[in-house]
Amino acid sequence: MPRLCFAFLLLALLGCRPLTHPKDELIIMQTEAPRTMDPADHTETYTTAVLNPIYESLTCFDQQLNIVPQLATQWHSSPDGITWTVNLRPGVRFHDGTPFNAQSVIATFNRLLDTKRGLAGASNVRRAVLSVEASNPLTVIFHLKAPFAAFPHLLAITSIISPAADHDGALSLHPVGTGPYRFAEWKTGEYVREVRNENYWGRMPAPAEIKWMWTTEPALMNMAIQAGEVDAVNPLPPMFADALQHNTKIRLLKGKSSAVFWVALNTHYKPLSDVRVRRALNYATDRINLVRSQLRNYGQPAAGPLGPATADYSPDIQGYPFDLAKAQSLMNQAGYSNGFPMNIAVLENQANFAEALQAMWSKIHVQVTIQKLESGTFAQVIFGSPEQKAAAHTDSVLASWSSASLDAERQLGPLYRTRSWSPAGANLGFYSNPHLDTLLDSAAADLDPITQQATYKQAQQIISDDAPQVLLFYSMDLAALRRDISDLWLFPGGDLELAK
Amino acid sequence: MNSYLARKLLAVPIILLLTSLLIFSAVRLLPGDPARLMAGMQADQATVETVRHRLGFDQPFTIQYTRFLTRALHGDLGNSIRSQQPVAREIAQRLPYTIALTTASFSIAILFGLTFGVLAAIYRGTWFDNALMVSAISGASVANFWIALMAMNFFAVKLGWVPLMGAASWRSYILPSLTLALAPAAVIARMTRGSMLEIIHQDYIRTARAKGLSPAAVYLKHALRNALVPIVTSIGLNFAALLGGAVITETVFNWPGVGRLMIDAVRYRDYATIQGITLVTVFFVVVINLLVDFAVGFLNPRIRFN
Repeated sequence: MPRLCFAFLLLALLGCRPLTHPKDELIIMQTEAPRTMDPADHTETYTTAVLNPIYESLTCFDQQLNIVPQLATQWHSSPDGITWTVNLRPGVRFHDGTPFNAQSVIATFNRLLDTKRGLAGASNVRRAVLSVEASNPLTVIFHLKAPFAAFPHLLAITSIISPAADHDGALSLHPVGTGPYRFAEWKTGEYVREVRNENYWGRMPAPAEIKWMWTTEPALMNMAIQAGEVDAVNPLPPMFADALQHNTKIRLLKGKSSAVFWVALNTHYKPLSDVRVRRALNYATDRINLVRSQLRNYGQPAAGPLGPATADYSPDIQGYPFDLAKAQSLMNQAGYSNGFPMNIAVLENQANFAEALQAMWSKIHVQVTIQKLESGTFAQVIFGSPEQKAAAHTDSVLASWSSASLDAERQLGPLYRTRSWSPAGANLGFYSNPHLDTLLDSAAADLDPITQQATYKQAQQIISDDAPQVLLFYSMDLAALRRDISDLWLFPGGDLELAK
Repeated sequence: MNSYLARKLLAVPIILLLTSLLIFSAVRLLPGDPARLMAGMQADQATVETVRHRLGFDQPFTIQYTRFLTRALHGDLGNSIRSQQPVAREIAQRLPYTIALTTASFSIAILFGLTFGVLAAIYRGTWFDNALMVSAISGASVANFWIALMAMNFFAVKLGWVPLMGAASWRSYILPSLTLALAPAAVIARMTRGSMLEIIHQDYIRTARAKGLSPAAVYLKHALRNALVPIVTSIGLNFAALLGGAVITETVFNWPGVGRLMIDAVRYRDYATIQGITLVTVFFVVVINLLVDFAVGFLNPRIRFN
C-alpha cells in the first residue's frame, strides 16, 4: 500500500513543469465574472474593467482624473449648457471594419434611449439626454433635457459600439469597439481573452493578450498572485494587503476612491427626524478607529459627502470629529438622554461595520439592531418607499455610493435631492432641503467651473450640517500586481485599467 | 423485469415535473428583487421596471411557469437573467467539467475506499486497522474546503508542483479530485470494513478457506462480492452528496463546473439558471439511483427487480 501512494505521488511529480504563463499575456483576476459583453447592459465595475480595453468613449479620464479627448477631438456647449457639439476623431475603425463616425455615436445613444430595449446601464444617459443628431459625418449634436455642465463626464462612461455589430443581442456575446484590444473568446466560468488590435489608432499597448479570470474566493486570489498564476488581482481584500506588502515579487496598487460609505438615517423615523439626534450619532462615531480596525487603515475617515476622487470635492468640510460628550449633550437636548432603539439594514459582508457602530452608539444609549441581508433582499429593502420602510422598521441603511462619472452631480443628486427619495432614487432616508435642491440644480447647470465649485462646496456644507447620513469613510481601492507588471492603474471605484 | 423497468422509467418525468414546480415556486419565494440586481443599485425606478418587463417577472406566476414548462419540454431552459445567455448552453458548457471532476474523484474514492476497507477488515484490530479508521473518521469529518485551502497553499503556492486552480490540464485535476474524494473514500472504507467483517465470519467463507482457496480468492471473489450490496447502495447515495460537495470544491479551486455556476446563480438571484441546474442535477441523481437499483439487483439475485 505505501508503494501505491508513492506511485501516485511520483505520477504527480513526473507531470510537473514550471507553472508559468507566456510573458506577453497579462492575466488579471477579479472578484466577479463579467455579466455581459454589452457595455450598455450592466452597471458593474468589474464588467466595465473587462470591456474597457475593447471599447472607447468620446472622452476619457487621464490618470490625474482630468477629462481628455478619446474618440472626440473637441467639444463645446451652447451658452445655456443644453446643446453640446462634439467633433469626432477621423480615420478610426471598429474591430469589424465599420468606420467610426457620427452614425455610430447616434446608434450608441439611441439604443440607450430606447426604453423598449430595457438596457440595464441606460439610466445615466436617459436622465440627461433628449436626442442626438449629426451635423456632418464627424460632428454630433446632443440635445439635453436640462443644462448639464458635467456632460463630458457622462461621455467618458458611455462606450461607443459598432452599429453593424448590434443585432439580435449579438453584442452581449461578441463585443465590437474601437479599443486597443479585440475580443477573442469568452469561456463562461473560465475566462475572457482579448488580443491586441494591431490596427489601433492610438499608442499600442505592450501585452499581446489580456486574459480576465474571476473567483469569489478571496483566499484564492491571494494564493494565485503569490503562485504567479495571475499577474494582477483586483480588488485585493485589505486582510491580505499587509502580508503581500512584504512580498518582494508583488507590489500593491492603491487608488483614490470615489466610494463614500455611510448610514442613511430615515428622517421619517421620529428620533431621527431631529437634526440634533442625527448630529449626535455623527459625533458618537469614531471614524479613525473604524478605518483602523475594519479597513486596516486602507481608507480615510469621511468628513463630507464627496470622495476625494470626485470633481468638486471640498477638503474644507470639517464634518463631525469623535466627541462623545457633545453627542450625549445633543441627545439630552433632543430629549433622548436614555437613547432609543433603531435598526440598521446592511449587506451581510458589511455587517462588521454595523457591529462597530452598534458598540460606538451604545455609549450614547442608542440600541442598534442589525438586519444582515444578502444582496437580493438588501436591494429590495433599501429601495422601499417611506411607507414600506415604516412598515418594515427600516430606520437606517448602511451602504455606499460611487459615481463612475466622477462628477459631483451624479454623486450628490441621487442621494440628497428631494425628488430622489427611494424608490425613484437613492435618497434612502427621505431627506429634504429645498434650498439644497435649488443649489444642486444651479450647480449642475453652471458652466463656469469656479462658481460651480463654490456652489458645490456650499452644498457639501449644507449636507454636512443637516446630517441626513452618518458619513463613515472613503474606501481605498486596492489591487496587487506582480512586480514586473506596469502600465496598469486603478480608476476610482476600483476597475483596473491599462495606461493609455 | 420489463414492467419494473417501465415503472422506474415512468417515474423519471414525474419526478422532474414535481421538482420543476417545487424549484420554480421556491426560487420565487426567495426574498429579493432580481430586476433591481440586474439594473444595479444606481438605476432609477423606470429602468428597473423596463428590466423587469424584459425578464417577464411582471407576469403572473402561472403564466411564467407554463412558459417555462413549455420551453423546457423543447430543451430550452430559458435565458440566464444575469448573462442573458441560454441556460441550457451554459450548463452544457460547464457540465463536462463537473462530470470529469466527480468521476475522477469517485474513481479515487472507490479505489481507495474499497482497498482500505477490505484491508482494514482483513487486519482487524491491528495498528493498521486502527490508523485507517481514525483517518477515515477524520476524512469524513474535516471540512473539504479547509483541506483544499491547506493543500493548495502547500502543493501549489509553496512547492509549485501542481496548478492552483482552473481546469487547464490533467494536472489541474490532482488537487480538486483528491480533496473531493476524501469524504466519500472515508465513508466507503468504513462501510466496506463493516460489511466485510460481517461476511468473513460466515460459514461459506470458512468452507471456502477449508477447500484450500487462496486468500485473494476468498476475500475478493467470495467475501467482497457479497459485501458489495450495501456498499453499492452507499456509493449511489454518496454520488449525490459528491455533486453537492463539488459546489464547494469547484468554488475553492475555481473549477469551471456547474457547482460554481450554481453559487453565482444563487448570488445573483438568477432564477432561470437555478431552475435549470436543479433540474439537470435531479435528473442525474434519479438516473444514478436507477443504475444503483440495477447494480444491486445484478449483485444479489434475491432482491432482483421486486
